[in-house]
Amino acid sequence: MEIKPRHGMEIKPRHVAFLVAAAAGLVFAGFSTFDFALRLDRQVHDIHCSFVPGLLSADHSGSSGCHSTMMSPYSSWFRTQLWGGIPIALPAMSVFSFLVFRGVELLSTRGRERHQAAQILFATSFIPVVASVAMGLISWLELQAACKVCIGIYVSSFVAMISAAAIVHDSRNAALSEDAADLAGPLGRAITVWGAQIGVFVAVPALVYATNVPDYTPHMGDCGDLLSTEDPNSIMVDLEAGPSAAVEAIEVFDPLCPACRAFEHRFAASGFADHIRRRAVLFPLDDACNWMVSAALHPGACTISEAILCADTRSQVSAQAVIQWAFTHQAEILTATRNDPALAKPMVEQAFPALKGCIGSDKARAKLNRSLRWTVKNKLSVLTPQLYVDGRKLCDEDTDLGMEYALTQMLASHRSR
Amino acid sequence: MPMSFAGRFTLAAVLLLIPTASTYAWVGSAAKRLEIATARANEHPHADTQVATAAPADEAYCNAGLRKVLQRVLKSCGLLGSGEVRGCQPADAKSVATMAGPDFNALFAPVAGRAGIVQFEKNTSQLDARDRTLLDGVFADQRGASYFLVVARASPEGSVQHNRALSQDRAQAVLSHLRETFQDPDLDREVGLLWLGEEFAQLDTDFCRWNRSGDPSACETADLNRSAFAAWIDCQL
Repeated sequence: MEIKPRHGMEIKPRHVAFLVAAAAGLVFAGFSTFDFALRLDRQVHDIHCSFVPGLLSADHSGSSGCHSTMMSPYSSWFRTQLWGGIPIALPAMSVFSFLVFRGVELLSTRGRERHQAAQILFATSFIPVVASVAMGLISWLELQAACKVCIGIYVSSFVAMISAAAIVHDSRNAALSEDAADLAGPLGRAITVWGAQIGVFVAVPALVYATNVPDYTPHMGDCGDLLSTEDPNSIMVDLEAGPSAAVEAIEVFDPLCPACRAFEHRFAASGFADHIRRRAVLFPLDDACNWMVSAALHPGACTISEAILCADTRSQVSAQAVIQWAFTHQAEILTATRNDPALAKPMVEQAFPALKGCIGSDKARAKLNRSLRWTVKNKLSVLTPQLYVDGRKLCDEDTDLGMEYALTQMLASHRSR
Repeated sequence: MPMSFAGRFTLAAVLLLIPTASTYAWVGSAAKRLEIATARANEHPHADTQVATAAPADEAYCNAGLRKVLQRVLKSCGLLGSGEVRGCQPADAKSVATMAGPDFNALFAPVAGRAGIVQFEKNTSQLDARDRTLLDGVFADQRGASYFLVVARASPEGSVQHNRALSQDRAQAVLSHLRETFQDPDLDREVGLLWLGEEFAQLDTDFCRWNRSGDPSACETADLNRSAFAAWIDCQL
């Protein structure tokens, strides 16, 4: 089927497919950018996470694949310079918008000019495909998250590229058969124009974004200080740090808390472990040992915390190994312990037989209790995770998107003190 | 028909406007919301505080009467104020409690599930293995409690003076064991000792049902009172 409008533009199904795919990519990337920008107010919001964003209600669980992907360090660039950085979905929006522009523009061309324009269109369509492959692999291998809006972008990118390939094929045949006037200019000039156009399409929205992001400086480091960083009961556990990490930090966390696991991943990916030497205070949100919670938010967390404290005093196994194991198997442990909290003990003992006899012992229980009492002495919030850099709290609002920016500011403040 | 330059420019401008204007609107809107939230937070600093603050336990059984008595007892025992364990003389305990022995013992009824009665052999203050196991278990079960009370007694055999000294030795034996086993720097701010000898608040056989280290099949009042009662108290003072 072919549509021939009055002015002579030929619109074939492959053109329609291309334009629809590019427009769909623009919509998906738009929703993703919108959700990201929404969080610039440092508040908690729902997130669009469906293949028909805007038509289905947004997700408010905080556990969707879209949420995990957005909160990951891979969702934006320049995170240490700007709070949250520039969302990767914004240039995606720009590129899809550009593809729509070039796709419509292509319809008014003929012969060799169309073939050249189609080739450039095809080359441009590789940009979102390459980005989609990279982000898809990160989501799959690193984040283990299925972000439906992202998948929408990936599919749009591939459909646009395949359609563009078909347009190139079609335009080549037409260019050879048609006796049309050769309106195509030199390829070098066409590439230069293309580069300038796409540069403007990507740079202008990014600049508008960067220059309008609020000033977060007044909010940095105003979320309270520890009353004391001392550890007279030796309840703190050293976490992984680079050899030159000089700034002391204390992290209050629960080994079975999904937010703590996500924070650990973000922190590890941020590279701040090279600058910050963290010590952990265990604060399981489990009423089996923690009187400050009325129910077990993470059943079995007391047992796993005891295992970490036990490992810290043994040579056969390190506390870090137990923490790593707990984070890696967190979902599996929680699934088991929600039915029977007592299952945490055999699970951790099976993974670390050297800890048998220590977990559940009076000494381990007493040590964990002192860890909990450390939070009481410091009048901390009943919340995990919490990070105190040089005794100053990283605001809860800055533990995800704004983490890199906030930590950069806090380290600068530490250096200037 | 080829598109004119003006047509192309207009098309490009419209499509460039989509990400640019959207970005401007979204970021600007977030900045406005942040400004409003900041102003609200500055006006009412604690208005949005929904997260609890870590605090010691303060259980429902800590009524005003119990708090008053406990405060007097603990102050007399040196737990409140200097932070050093001094221990309470029998006369002190009697005067600060200002109540009859059974009423004093009844104060501890709510902690029955967490308390332990360490039973000693006749005329000794030595802890045996069962005593130590019981004591360690009770002490490790601190949870959110702030104070660990050790109330040592003696059975009525022997002189009042001797029994007073014996119960003091029993209380001290418990404290020494806890110091050695748990090496807790906070111990002296948490553990309060009372030694009552045979003079005040002797335990009756109702306490036979409590967690104790003596022979389960034998429970005379004399056995029960050759003892140190130990329990965490979940009250904030």
